[in-house]
Amino acid sequence: MTRKTTPRTSALQLTDVTKSFGEISVMKGVNLDVEAGERHAVIGPNGAGKSTLFNLISGLFAVSGGDICLNGRSITGLPPHRINRSGLARSFQITNIFHRLSVFENLRIGVLARHGVRFGLFQPVSRMRAINEETVDILERVGLEPRADHLAGDLTYSEQRALEIGMTLTTGADVILLDEPTAGMSREETAKAVELIRSVTEGKTLLMVEHDMSVVFSLCDRVSVLVYGSILATDTPERISANRQVQEAYLGEEAAT
Amino acid sequence: MTNMRNILLIAAVLVALVAVPPFLGLGWQNALVNILIASLFALAFNLLSGQAGLLSFGHAAYFGMGAFATLHLMLAIEDGLSFPTPLLPLAGAAMGLLIGVVAGFFATMRSGVYFALVTLAIAELFHSLTPHLQGFFGGESGISSMRMPWQGFVFGTVLEVYYLTLFWVVLSVMALWAYTRTPFGRLTLALRDNEQRVRFLGYNAHTSKVIIFAVSAMFSGVAGGLQAISNETANYALFSSHISAQVVLQTFVGGATIFFGPVVGAVSFTLFAYLVSDLTRSWLFYQGLIFVLVMLFAPTGIGGVVQHHLRNVRRDDWLLLAGPYALAATGGVLIAGAVIYLTETVAVLFGEEYAVQIRNAEGSLPAYEMFGAWWEPFGIATWLVPVVLLAAGGAILVKSRGNILKCWEKMGREVGEGAHEPAAPGVAK
Ligand SMILES: Nc1ncnc2c1ncn2[C@@H]1O[C@H](COP(=O)(O)OP(=O)(O)O)[C@@H](O)[C@H]1O
Ligand SMILES: [Mg+2]
Repeated sequence: MTRKTTPRTSALQLTDVTKSFGEISVMKGVNLDVEAGERHAVIGPNGAGKSTLFNLISGLFAVSGGDICLNGRSITGLPPHRINRSGLARSFQITNIFHRLSVFENLRIGVLARHGVRFGLFQPVSRMRAINEETVDILERVGLEPRADHLAGDLTYSEQRALEIGMTLTTGADVILLDEPTAGMSREETAKAVELIRSVTEGKTLLMVEHDMSVVFSLCDRVSVLVYGSILATDTPERISANRQVQEAYLGEEAAT
Repeated sequence: MTNMRNILLIAAVLVALVAVPPFLGLGWQNALVNILIASLFALAFNLLSGQAGLLSFGHAAYFGMGAFATLHLMLAIEDGLSFPTPLLPLAGAAMGLLIGVVAGFFATMRSGVYFALVTLAIAELFHSLTPHLQGFFGGESGISSMRMPWQGFVFGTVLEVYYLTLFWVVLSVMALWAYTRTPFGRLTLALRDNEQRVRFLGYNAHTSKVIIFAVSAMFSGVAGGLQAISNETANYALFSSHISAQVVLQTFVGGATIFFGPVVGAVSFTLFAYLVSDLTRSWLFYQGLIFVLVMLFAPTGIGGVVQHHLRNVRRDDWLLLAGPYALAATGGVLIAGAVIYLTETVAVLFGEEYAVQIRNAEGSLPAYEMFGAWWEPFGIATWLVPVVLLAAGGAILVKSRGNILKCWEKMGREVGEGAHEPAAPGVAK
């Protein structure tokens, strides 16, 4: 394992985060500490609130209570674009790309944002060399350069998932949230995706929702188990899979089926 | 190759637009001014509806405000302000931009149907308030002014107005084209595709949409200003929903998914109005019918169909297609004949004049004149004509449709979604 021994700082810190939709309380006081530079998995049964947790962190939903800090600064209540600019990017459980733009353009939108060209109206984008080169670079890192000019909507499912991951890299965020990046993939596709995630998150902080324990084992430094809106335990993958409580609440359930 | 062809095509159109009008009559020169203005208005509208996917039902507001602002500047020039007359449309641009920022700020808080309804309500607000505002809008009768000479230009002839209009329209179209190639122009397309994703990439979606709205309103204001210069008058009717609806119809008939599509629609509709409105009072009905047919059978618009053929039909394919297409056209003409015949017959039989004739004939239905012939309301010939036309046209169309499908199959390409199968229009959200 590649645990850092240097003084630990939190990239992401959640304190007593709660969320209810009307009467239904989905998040019941979540405390979570993601260290800078670690790869951290969130596991838990369906409906436990993993996606909701990501939606709260990334600003899609407002928290009902509690505090969320990114790199030591509170991002609670900020809109998604501000949170992104503070250094957090996310992917979505259901593929969320620009279907009618080319793969290249899908990535370039984010690169433009990173360079602060958000309202560029006075120069053709084709002449912006640094931006186009950086886009090509990300395109190569996610292995989509042969598909650069295809419409994103025409890609295969696993290519679209790779594009999703690529898009989280474009804005230069150092905290990456991936929501079930390997869901629905074949064994080989999953293996490729794991390698991709490993290489692109090198030197960054990763928080990912993952169902496949073998992916968690090979990729992540620590795991948090979310059950019915609270964190049951946070530890290394080995100790989590040996944890009685976790086995009963979650892993046992899976093993039984 | 295609690039070269496009450049040549555009150059040819420009040369024709500059060189031909001096040889045309006043009526045609006027019609061309209207065509240019409608084209710019439709392109400005489509920046919002086609490219950003925000369908506005109230663009008359920005067109109209551009016209009023320009007229006020003209009045000021009449009173001695020294301002170059050729730069008048800048007043329309400024006013369009201003109103666009304010209206856009509220309208873009919503999307889809709610956005459309807010824009509609804003235009209705203008339409209902302005007749009561004497000062700026001149009440119900509106305001008028005269074009003042500037340097050597008198702006007394339609031709001079035409060239002024042409200059501004070409300039604006070039700016709108350049817009599509800027980073913000690409963001506009991304917003249409997936607004949520744009937010998570660090963009403030609302601010972006307000800017798009304002740019669209600004160029609509230029179009309105040009209309004010041409007409030298404006009143509250400029804000009517009819004007808002016209630009929607033109854009979609022309094709919202292609940059120059709206121009095709604006040219067709304006020409149609110019040529047909003198011939029949039912011309608005025909216009509506054309819109419905295009939306049903070629939802990407005329531009979409043309583009599909340019992309997919090679030169030798045309030999194959020419026959079936000519046959289809014949069928179309026959059915159009039947529809026109029936429409005009209904217009006569239920018209006021005929009601008087019935009264004079003491209740019996007299023969009537139409298309230079006399028809009996209960004559067999009277009703045989449309039935025969419809049956023949329908049979031919069914036959040619089969042939056309076979041709495309033989060419090994799919019949375009634009050509025959309905598909989601470009602005579907
Ligand atoms: N927008 C919403 N409104 C109401 N309930 C929601 C909403 N989003 C999620 N939920 C509920 O929150 C619970 C957790 O869902 P989710 O976070 O998607 O679970 P997971 O990703 O762990 O499978 C579910 O019961 C779901 O129905
Ligand atoms: Mg989920």
